Amino acid sequence: MDIRESILPGIGIKYRIDAESGDRIVIIIHDDGRRELYHFDYEDLEQSISMTTLNDQEARLVASIIGGMTYKPKQLESVEMTFDDFIIEWYRVEPHYASVGKSIGELDVRQNSGATVIAIVEKKGNKYVNPGPEVIISEDATVVVVGERDQQKRFKQILMNGSG
Amino acid sequence: MDHLVFEIGLAIALIAAAGLISTKLRFSVIPFYILIGMAVGPHAMELWHFDFRFIESAPFIDFMGRIGVLFLLFYLGLEFSVGRLIKSGRSIAVGGTIYIGINFTLGLALGFLTGFPIAETLVIAGITTISSSAIAAKVLVDLKRTANAETEMILGIIMFEDVFLAVYISILSGLVLSDSSSLGGVLLSALIALGFMLAVIIIGRKAVPLLNRIFRIRSNEVFGLVIFGSLFLVAGFSETIHVAEAIGALLVGLVLAETEHAKRIEHLIVPFRDFFGALFFFSFGLSIDPLSLGGNAIWLALAAVILTLIGNIWAGMLAGRTASLSPKASANIGLTIVARGEFSIIMANLGKEGGLMDIVQPFAAIYVLILAIMGPLLTKQSKPIFNMLNKVFKFKDPRLRKEERNSV
Repeated sequence: MDIRESILPGIGIKYRIDAESGDRIVIIIHDDGRRELYHFDYEDLEQSISMTTLNDQEARLVASIIGGMTYKPKQLESVEMTFDDFIIEWYRVEPHYASVGKSIGELDVRQNSGATVIAIVEKKGNKYVNPGPEVIISEDATVVVVGERDQQKRFKQILMNGSG
Repeated sequence: MDHLVFEIGLAIALIAAAGLISTKLRFSVIPFYILIGMAVGPHAMELWHFDFRFIESAPFIDFMGRIGVLFLLFYLGLEFSVGRLIKSGRSIAVGGTIYIGINFTLGLALGFLTGFPIAETLVIAGITTISSSAIAAKVLVDLKRTANAETEMILGIIMFEDVFLAVYISILSGLVLSDSSSLGGVLLSALIALGFMLAVIIIGRKAVPLLNRIFRIRSNEVFGLVIFGSLFLVAGFSETIHVAEAIGALLVGLVLAETEHAKRIEHLIVPFRDFFGALFFFSFGLSIDPLSLGGNAIWLALAAVILTLIGNIWAGMLAGRTASLSPKASANIGLTIVARGEFSIIMANLGKEGGLMDIVQPFAAIYVLILAIMGPLLTKQSKPIFNMLNKVFKFKDPRLRKEERNSV
């Protein structure tokens, strides 16, 4: 991937992005906050074939969608946030995981992995912040866990196989 | 004098109406402001209370137009940064030099071949050399061409032209506005002008920390007053030593651009620039009597338009080639910066102040009107125009040639 930045005096900043797919995208960030995205022709990299204009707020939202921050595509297993050695991970509970239907106490998460479950959001929309040992891991729920890297690894094992 | 406010109000209302019409027609506003100014004036009529002759208020409108020039150039100086120019790269420097070289030479040739004296020739060359950055930048954004490969080159050439404009006006104002008629006296006043500019820039650069402190003013009102005070004082003082006041304003802008307050000043100045700028175009139109637009001025303007078109396309193709852009992108360069506007009028006004021949003003008016209207249209139609030119000239694509060589 090749990204080139150049300044357009009086207009804004221009980024030219040549992606691995052979696509050329040009993003213009106007001084007034507007964003323009241009997509260029494969055959003739000088001819733009489509463009989109977004305002500042829309651009930020689209950026977070592309970055997988607000809506998580299925392929993206987890989003990481780190502070020092601690990592906060989001896990999506796939239907075939052995832990589905078991409670946190049953899995003995803290003993077996050292990690701590800090929240569970179920598909139905029920949210548990700092869930107790009685809370059941359900299909398609998102489990938010804090712990060090190897503790996270062990937790993932428990989630998938039902034991550490 | 008792109806002064009413007359000025009428003028502003006319300008506003012209602006509304131009946005309705999706045209650049500049020619409309000039046209509405030409439509009224001393030759116009008086309808009951509405005096379209603007005789009483003419000096005031004229003065507001002058303020418009100050704001235009002050803003230009504020936006300009030496660092940006250096960063903009060698290809742009080459492109800018090519553009100015070709168009300036053609302008000089036009003046000499039609038998003008040297001062008039220099003014005419100035009028035909410098593009309207306002129109060019707007057209780029409106036509969604900012993403194109040639955009950096276009904006770079415009920046280069700004530098040329500053230097050229200062030399020319020394020549045209000086009291002396001898060559030595003229050279001396041109030297004084250049010396003054350098002094302001050097002292200004040294004084940046001091200026930062002085302008640290919380109240917007006082801040604005201090800025306007400095602007008008320096610009007015420049004029007393035969440096065009426009250049004084530009210098203030250049110096303040280096301070930490540049952005705040910019926000403060833009509405004033737009308002007084509109009055500047209007007052230029007001000074032109459409009934006098006959004969030589028209032919001269048409010749200049043709030369400018040739010079622009030619310079654009060459400049594009130096930056190894495709012929199509290169054609866009010349056709985007063909519009002429504010700077050509400033040049013409300089000629008027210096008491040059009367033909300069109507010539500039017709020339600017044609190119301010045609420029954006040519930019829009650059593709068919390029295809037409390509049939005749068969441009070689520098990028394709490389591939051919590689394949052999």
